[in-house]
Amino acid sequence: MTPDPSPAPTDTRLRTQDEIAARVKALESMLIEKGIMTTEAIDRLAEIYENEVGPQLGAKVVARAWTDPEFKQRLLADASAACADMGIGGLQGEEMVVVENTDTVHNAIVCTLCSCYPWPVLGLPPNWYKAPAYRSRIVREPRKVLAEDFGFEIPDSVEIRLWDSSSELRYWVLPKRPEGTEDMGAFELAALVTRDSMIGVGPAASPTA
Amino acid sequence: MRTDSTELGDARRRVEALVCDLPGGGVDERMFTEPWELRAFAMAVAAYHSGRYEWSEFQLSLIRAIKQWEDGHASEPWSYYEHWLTALETVLADNGVLSDAAIDERTREVLAIPRTANHHKAHREPVAVSPAVV
Repeated sequence: MTPDPSPAPTDTRLRTQDEIAARVKALESMLIEKGIMTTEAIDRLAEIYENEVGPQLGAKVVARAWTDPEFKQRLLADASAACADMGIGGLQGEEMVVVENTDTVHNAIVCTLCSCYPWPVLGLPPNWYKAPAYRSRIVREPRKVLAEDFGFEIPDSVEIRLWDSSSELRYWVLPKRPEGTEDMGAFELAALVTRDSMIGVGPAASPTA
Repeated sequence: MRTDSTELGDARRRVEALVCDLPGGGVDERMFTEPWELRAFAMAVAAYHSGRYEWSEFQLSLIRAIKQWEDGHASEPWSYYEHWLTALETVLADNGVLSDAAIDERTREVLAIPRTANHHKAHREPVAVSPAVV
């Protein structure tokens, strides 16, 4: 392809976020096709900052659910609405569902086909979430993957449920409140809520850790 | 599955040495708020690593993009990474890598595909269950 003797690139302003995101995706696919870069190279660079993308507001929501039973009921009944009440939104109309971990059921999330993820609440997905290895193995042998890849042993007495997020419906996990936190308030508790605990591949941090 | 955190720390220092001299350096401005911003950021660094342009060219291009906004459009909302994207497209066009028209065309194609076309349906039951062993 011969480059046009082109004027300055089209003004990128005054576009919707969807349009800009599409443009960035287009640019990425073209640069990869031309052999200028690989997806892996971009992923490696992106990984440096992946924990810093998006508001990561899920921890606040979890801490409130741990301390406010009425809010927890609303969160489990309609997560999108309950989060909206806390001023947390930004999803483009997709439904959010929060699944609760209990003494008998442990939940984890996956996107079996791509990388659907409730990022306005949890930030950008970590690289491994998007990797084929996690996406296929966690569904086939969840107990083993949690134990071996994440060092997270789920007792045999606990059922494990895997939830497949799609672009229409995104799941995330309400982890169990750690023991020894009875005296803690929502602000302190939020600091214990890790990203991994809301994906379901780790526990919330314990207050002594 | 995870990259060693020290390795990440080293990679981060190398990237930050690169970006510290760029204009628009406020910490708040550079915070990523949308996934596309991080992709655009990473692409500019990756294209530089592949030798497509000098870093000083990108820097100049970013300065120009920001100046253009200040000169004419300062009433529009500020978005650091929109300037970043403009700068990246300009420097790629200037070096004959990609034309604006070609990016326009591909963007229309991307927009024509429904988002995650294969994964549009809501899955309301668990995709897998590992029962408790009693």
